[in-house]
Amino acid sequence: MIKKVQKLAREYFQSGKVEIIYGLKKHNNKVVPSVFNKEDELKDLVISAKEPLLNICRPSKKNIIRLIEEKYPEAKIGMVVRGCDERILIELSKRKQIKLDNIELIGVACNKEDAIACNCPKPYPVHLDIGTKVDGVIEDKKNKELLNKKLSERLSFWQYQFSKCIKCYGCRNACPLCFCKDCAMEQQEWTKTGEIPPEIPMFHFIRFYHLADRCIDCGECEAACPVDIPLLTISKQIRNDIKDLFDYESGLDAEQESPLLTSLDEVPMKEGESK
Amino acid sequence: MFEPKILGFCCNWCAYAGADLAGINRNQYSTNIRIIRVMCSGTIDPLYIMKAFQNGIDGVFIGGCHIGDCHYQDGNHRAKKRVAVVKRMLGYLGLDPRRVRLEWVSAAEGQKFAKVINDFVAEIKEIGPNPLSRKK
Repeated sequence: MIKKVQKLAREYFQSGKVEIIYGLKKHNNKVVPSVFNKEDELKDLVISAKEPLLNICRPSKKNIIRLIEEKYPEAKIGMVVRGCDERILIELSKRKQIKLDNIELIGVACNKEDAIACNCPKPYPVHLDIGTKVDGVIEDKKNKELLNKKLSERLSFWQYQFSKCIKCYGCRNACPLCFCKDCAMEQQEWTKTGEIPPEIPMFHFIRFYHLADRCIDCGECEAACPVDIPLLTISKQIRNDIKDLFDYESGLDAEQESPLLTSLDEVPMKEGESK
Repeated sequence: MFEPKILGFCCNWCAYAGADLAGINRNQYSTNIRIIRVMCSGTIDPLYIMKAFQNGIDGVFIGGCHIGDCHYQDGNHRAKKRVAVVKRMLGYLGLDPRRVRLEWVSAAEGQKFAKVINDFVAEIKEIGPNPLSRKK
């Protein structure tokens, strides 16, 4: 499969469709994101389901595409994307963080084992070039467990989970869609500073709400968490709810506006009971 | 006897004027509510709601204009959508979603305002104190 990706990337180079390619690269037995300038560098190009490709680079808080654009102005960028990467690009473009005009996608589908390992609901991009679509993991065990709990049990569960938090901001830093310059999680108007664990559940609520309509379920926050807080459980549940209420899914269409930013006439809301 | 503390956000154009009318008409309503005047129900950031619970408030009331009557065209549309999402999120975190109530009260509905507040206070009394404040 990687041969096919390299071949397509080479074709993109030769036809002049792209000037640089951004993808994952094998480097000292590690997989790292990298820019490929020339055709013969492409032999190091790899595909992997786990390693993140798109990040917000700190402390400048610019997303990686903007940094590439700064270094190679006006260049056509080819990008080897998995399902999650494509959804991230669409959400970033929807929120005016990047322009999709200069980006040429090479869509790669993940295989079944990877999808199960990542607990991914949609392991393929819409723009699919290489690989075949496999069904994602729809039902999540942790979500089911949460829904089976009573309210008081849920509260004590989260109080235990959040009390482990060491406030490393790993979930926010790893998140490809947490691009705000001034983060509410750092401001003492919202949550007390200089305290571990942070205020429960205010600190985590800020992220959950801000990502309610943009989380694309990539799982970077949970993977980054050093104390294993199951952050995705709530994000996944809210994603389902937004789908129920507004018939909207993040990361599908760059032209479709988030339902929380529109009126009821533009995107109606269905009435429904919370679970 | 548990006396809940309730925070009310009332929009300047409808619900706050409704509360004013309730006062002028001498419609008695529960004194458990503390009202903050905001320009529009659409300005209510969900973080305000969570912050109130974090600080030990037992219930949050949001009053706005009826749908279609918003002074800013569609501010209350947004409030409705946000509150729906927040309610669900509170449920997953283990707080009763009934602790947040969004109601449409126009400037002419003083009586309705008093009734809505009394209902809400009665409901919160039934639910009990905010579990986040109990720990302090």
